Amino acid sequence: MSEMWINMGPQHPMTHGLWNLRVHIDGEMVLDVDPEMGYLHRGIEKISEDRHYNEVVTLMDRCCYVAGLAWEHLYILSAEQALAIRPPERAEWIRMMSEEFQRLGSHIMWYAAFVQDIGLMSPFLYGMRDRDLILDLFQSYTGARMTYEYMRVGGVRNDLPNGFTDRARKVCDWLIDRFVEYDRLCLGSDIFHKRCDGLGTMSEKDCVAYGVTGPMLRSAGSRRDLRKDRPYSAYDRVEFDVATADGADVTARYLVRMEEMRQSVRIIRQALDWLDRHPGPVMAARVPRWLGAPYAPIGNEGYLLKRNYPKGLGLSAIEEPHGEAQAYTVNDGGEHPYRVKFRSPVFANISAAKKYLVGYRVADIPPIMGSVDVCVGECDR
Amino acid sequence: MEAEFSAQVSARLGDRVAGIESFPGTLGRVRFRADAALDVFRSMRDDLAFDHLSMVGGIDWVDHREAFYVLWSDARRAYVILSADLPAQNPHIESATSIWPSANWHERETWELVDIHFDHHPDLRHLLMPDGYAFHPLLRSFKLHEPEELEVKTRNV
Repeated sequence: MSEMWINMGPQHPMTHGLWNLRVHIDGEMVLDVDPEMGYLHRGIEKISEDRHYNEVVTLMDRCCYVAGLAWEHLYILSAEQALAIRPPERAEWIRMMSEEFQRLGSHIMWYAAFVQDIGLMSPFLYGMRDRDLILDLFQSYTGARMTYEYMRVGGVRNDLPNGFTDRARKVCDWLIDRFVEYDRLCLGSDIFHKRCDGLGTMSEKDCVAYGVTGPMLRSAGSRRDLRKDRPYSAYDRVEFDVATADGADVTARYLVRMEEMRQSVRIIRQALDWLDRHPGPVMAARVPRWLGAPYAPIGNEGYLLKRNYPKGLGLSAIEEPHGEAQAYTVNDGGEHPYRVKFRSPVFANISAAKKYLVGYRVADIPPIMGSVDVCVGECDR
Repeated sequence: MEAEFSAQVSARLGDRVAGIESFPGTLGRVRFRADAALDVFRSMRDDLAFDHLSMVGGIDWVDHREAFYVLWSDARRAYVILSADLPAQNPHIESATSIWPSANWHERETWELVDIHFDHHPDLRHLLMPDGYAFHPLLRSFKLHEPEELEVKTRNV
């Protein structure tokens, strides 16, 4: 049979978002791949140049629609460094708890979508059911289920409502039992193993060279986790283990993510105990008023630009559910960030697609790409 | 640790480095000469153990451009930022793909959005924007809210 290029996407169940994987095939064998991105490019970095610092938070929810709070956290950390503002301690713990709940939400969403990719339908329904509990929690303190707009430069918008920690503990208890069921549904299934074992391998050395991070890197035996290596917020004050595996294949990535979810629950429980014991402010006392100002005073547009605020740069890096995310914020003393640059882990993970797809069969592409956990919103920005 | 690191950089790279600024949360911001880029990259990876290239980006400062690189070292457990100033006219710098393959897409993106050309890049074509897109949106001269004419070429597959 002759060789040819086929398009998997932009409308293909495998893509989980809007992108196109061009595949060069010889019969069933994959000879080469060329991912085409940009279908979801909304110019978030460009729009940020026209926004006040706090208004960029709105864009962050749209950046990654399954891990909005993690991206808000990422941006806020870099903006706070660039503006030299420190949040109160309680806000740090709330952010950390939010990020871990978001990691659970993102991983459960991944679980639901990935397992459906390999032909098992019921885990999808279980996953969506359990993710809803997390969204309910988010709704109770941010007011929204998907686009939260919760974090602010200098803290978070509002404190947790009464009784939140008890509700959150119940959700944690519920989830930790469900993970046993998840494992039984997948690891106990022959279909799962036949479709996942030994596929999409990528060695630790290749992962490092090609910038692959997150669960993909840790499934290859690495212990790299920014929460441990370069702790931010309150991660240096909670106990947890870095989830790793050695297989470097699709099954190993599944194992890493499942273990990460258990560790997230462990972190959340410690955070909830801390939050119960330490009431306090959630917003820094001295945040410049112009940060929240939606518009400059009419007729006086140059006023805010002329203020004498020190310039600064901010680099933040967090262990986002998909891997290492970074934000680089340039504050030139103006009212808007001069430049915000984001590093999306999915962007880097897809760029290495040649390394883990070539040599497998066309039917192997959905499980392999599923194990990468693609979120096109943050990749294209 | 920062002082030790800047001494190592100065010893290895000498006048190829224009200065090292402190940058909280990292080992520092190393400003290097763009014409010595490949030497700096190689030395960073081989001598100073920065094996991860996390991010490449560009900034348009109107009178000049800046290309910056964020590196991570597993051995040191720390980031370092490399930064090179480029002229506003025909800004170009050597590609880092031969040192860190992960630079590939980051440089494609920086080229199409900030118009910094990466010499000897294996595959410098549009990534986020459609083929044939003639603008570089992250330049300060590119204003939002102004209509633009856009001709999209389709590629023969």
